Amino acid sequence: MVQTLTKGSVRAKTESKRKRKKRGDSSLWWMYLPSVLIVFLFIIFPFLDGIRISFTNWNGFSQAYDYIGFDQYKRMFADPDTWLVVKNTLLYGIGSTILQNIIGLGYALLLNHHLKVRTLTRTIIYLPVIISPLIMGYIWYFFFAYNGGALNDIFILFGMEPINVLSDPAVNPYIIVFVNTFQFVGIAMIIYLAGLQSISKDYYEAANIDGASAWQKFKAVTLPLLMPSITINIVLNIIGGLKLFDVIVALTNGGPGNASQSMSTFMYNLYFARQDAGYAATQGVLMALIILIISMSALIYFKRKEVEA
Amino acid sequence: MKKTIGISVLSISAMMAIAGCGGSGSGGEGQVKLTLMSTATTKADQDIFKEIVKDFEKENPDIDIEDSYPSDGYEDLARVKMAANDLPDLFDTHGWATSRYSEYTEDLSSMDWASRLDPAMEPILTDEDGKLHAYPINQALDGVSYNKTLLDEYGIEVPATFDEFIAALEEVKEKSNGEVVPLWLGGADKSQFGQYFDQFATPLLITDEENSYEEELLDGSFDWSNYTYLAEKLKEMNDKELLNKDVLTAQVTMGPELLAQNKVAFVMLNGSVGREVTGLNPDVQMGTMPVPPIHEGDSPSWIGGERHTLAVANNSEYKEEAKQFIEYIAQPEVAKKFAEGTSLPDALTDVEADNYFAEFYKQYEGTQIQPYFDRLYLPSGMWDPMGATGQELVAGTLTPEQVSDKMSQEYTRLRSE
Amino acid sequence: MNRQSSSKKWLLTGLALVITAFHLIPFYILLTNSLKQMGDFTSKWSFPDYFNLENFALAWEQAGLANAFTNTAIITFSAAVLLILFGSMAAYALARRTTKLNKFVYILFVGVMVIPPLTALVPLYRLVVNFGLMNTHIVAVLNNVAAFLPLTIFLYAGFIRSTIPKELEEAAKIDGASTLKIFFKIIFPLLKPITATVLIISSVYIWNDYQFAIFFLQDSSVQTLTVVLASFFGQNGSQLNLVAAAALLASLPMIIVFLFLQRFFIEGLAAGSVKG
Repeated sequence: MVQTLTKGSVRAKTESKRKRKKRGDSSLWWMYLPSVLIVFLFIIFPFLDGIRISFTNWNGFSQAYDYIGFDQYKRMFADPDTWLVVKNTLLYGIGSTILQNIIGLGYALLLNHHLKVRTLTRTIIYLPVIISPLIMGYIWYFFFAYNGGALNDIFILFGMEPINVLSDPAVNPYIIVFVNTFQFVGIAMIIYLAGLQSISKDYYEAANIDGASAWQKFKAVTLPLLMPSITINIVLNIIGGLKLFDVIVALTNGGPGNASQSMSTFMYNLYFARQDAGYAATQGVLMALIILIISMSALIYFKRKEVEA
Repeated sequence: MKKTIGISVLSISAMMAIAGCGGSGSGGEGQVKLTLMSTATTKADQDIFKEIVKDFEKENPDIDIEDSYPSDGYEDLARVKMAANDLPDLFDTHGWATSRYSEYTEDLSSMDWASRLDPAMEPILTDEDGKLHAYPINQALDGVSYNKTLLDEYGIEVPATFDEFIAALEEVKEKSNGEVVPLWLGGADKSQFGQYFDQFATPLLITDEENSYEEELLDGSFDWSNYTYLAEKLKEMNDKELLNKDVLTAQVTMGPELLAQNKVAFVMLNGSVGREVTGLNPDVQMGTMPVPPIHEGDSPSWIGGERHTLAVANNSEYKEEAKQFIEYIAQPEVAKKFAEGTSLPDALTDVEADNYFAEFYKQYEGTQIQPYFDRLYLPSGMWDPMGATGQELVAGTLTPEQVSDKMSQEYTRLRSE
Repeated sequence: MNRQSSSKKWLLTGLALVITAFHLIPFYILLTNSLKQMGDFTSKWSFPDYFNLENFALAWEQAGLANAFTNTAIITFSAAVLLILFGSMAAYALARRTTKLNKFVYILFVGVMVIPPLTALVPLYRLVVNFGLMNTHIVAVLNNVAAFLPLTIFLYAGFIRSTIPKELEEAAKIDGASTLKIFFKIIFPLLKPITATVLIISSVYIWNDYQFAIFFLQDSSVQTLTVVLASFFGQNGSQLNLVAAAALLASLPMIIVFLFLQRFFIEGLAAGSVKG
């Protein structure tokens, strides 16, 4: 009896102490303070400073420059290179996303069968994911290079003219999409595999009883239940594809001219080679906006689909 | 109270995690660490730099030089470093000593070697106030280099005019049945196209009296349609397959190897290329010629100026030590070694360096030396568009007229900065 | 019925093998080339008819890979530790306490994910120089932590919301344990699956970082593998065999780690995608 009393009063005491403290403690802000500080210092502050630079004619190194209002923005919208580069960026972002998802889903469906070679295949397809995109770019460079490239070795073997795909502006953006897809299709595959394995067999058995065909089962059961995996894959791939940088540097360096430049590499080029930092920053703002709009609309669209399904 | 302790424990452990890997390594106590960044690009050039740095460190054990060679990325890095006022203690000014880099250099005019400086170098590296911005390690004498063995074999004369040059290229193609690349450019690197435009702009727009646009270029009134000729000719060469097929993806470093295999006749590479090629294949001799005239009645010219330089950053912590290094490499025997290692003429009056191309320089003795076109007549920052428009022209995304338009736009923008 | 399904299985196995072979192509080419002597211009598809590992020795020596490995390992390890520490703590607070401030901070973190890293490069460079952090491991660590924190927090928060019952903490709270103690003693051990995911995704990413390393790690004593390799490629563009050997050596540790721990790689990713 005495014991319970004391225990109770102690508890009451701590309770009131906690209440007094609650105002400051309720957010537990000190737990995310280090994260906020790092992200602010290394991302948000530099980004905001970048926006400020987009209103200047800074050349990227001089200590002096002028504020010129929206001139760089006007220039950006009038510049044909802007649209070429935006087009490439969308191709890299959306093209790789579509390919990675279709092929990744295909691979996942195949490997969802109990095959003896399943682990081997999965391992090999996933392997490029862990290799630096820069190195992957170089490896594919050995493949596509005009002089002594592996592809042309085959062409020559069959008595055909060697081709130079990396310098052809009509082709090389697609090569970049291909290499990026090849490298990251493993991620999509794994995520789809996990999604497939979480679908209960009962659904398929029910469909079998209804006499559904394989395609009907895929459409009515598999796809809707995979919606969460699809959302993750699409959003991840779009953001990755739109920011593409290393692979382009390794394969074409954005060339010839600006033909295969993405917004990342273009911006890089403007900053450092063209002495056009103000303009580069303006392109950076456009890029952030494009990524924001596309990834957010994809996210919202697919989340809605998830709910419907 | 507990919370504060918690936070401090956390932050301390975080600091320890970071600090455990914080030390940037090399160098014992009491050593001065100098940073050096050079534009040396080929392996031969970098090797001689490294060798000389090592020799210096041996003589001066208290100084440790951290040398780096970002090659293609040099200009990019240098710009970022300027923006942050963080240039290395010793850096290369690659033609921009008195303009782009002038705010960041230390005056070297009171150093010993200044009095031994080649008179041709002095005006390029000194500004109106008499400030000497950098030490020139060697001089460029750029023209067009060629595989002499191959030309001799085909009995092709060294061209004396631009038209003869194109004719020689066609002859190479014909006589080799298309096996030999007449003019090879390592165009994965834009600067190879830049080199073409920059060198041939001199005979087109500067040296011929009747076609000289020096004033217009300098006062901003230049009409860029006068530049279109070079783009047209480049396009013509490409259309006639006088350039390598992989001109847009070939790496510059492949050049010497192809020359050594007798697969290439002419290149826009200079200096150490000769030594490198003969080193790879002793049976191949290289030759060099000045840039041929384009207009009738004009004479050829070497494109000259400082090649590798070293300037001392004026905010360096170790100016004295940096100067000590320059003093070291300005000694006649080291300067000779440097010049020979890079296969370029030295820039001091009391040094006699042997040079791979010496006989050719002698053969063309008296030929005028012109500065790099873009360094003198164009605003800083034109080098990239010059090369990039060349790439786009060859890729077929720009017409020769559009090349000139683009150059004109960039010229106007960069002048207004 | 049985025969049909077995022939179907053979067909699918065959298909899987064809796909596997296709995905092996780049690795195969990398291998054949790295084994060939310099100046051997035979087809990229054939192995040399001699055996020599000279390229590997040369590449290891000339590119300074040993030092680059150490640097990359130190940076990756430290960044991963900090990411997990800061990320899980932040996610815990943000997932459990939904005050207005916390909602705002959470949205901020998610929003930061879309910022292209290059847009911030030049201002960031100035900052780093002002702090005297150029050419230190610290800047590479913090940069990577910053780049990966938003995703880490996003993954942790999703996991905490969906799988960690609140009752656990409440019981501990009643016993008078401090928030920090509750977090590290009770919550953190339960986060193991998602910690594995974060560790794997972020380590691969940080190990392979190039965009930032190239600017902040110029001094050869602190350079990471990608930076060393890029400059090695620049200088030896005509000697692809040597470059291939360097590329293979640089990728090897990750490949080995992956082959041994692939269960964790794959399960980690799967867990992150299903629960995140």
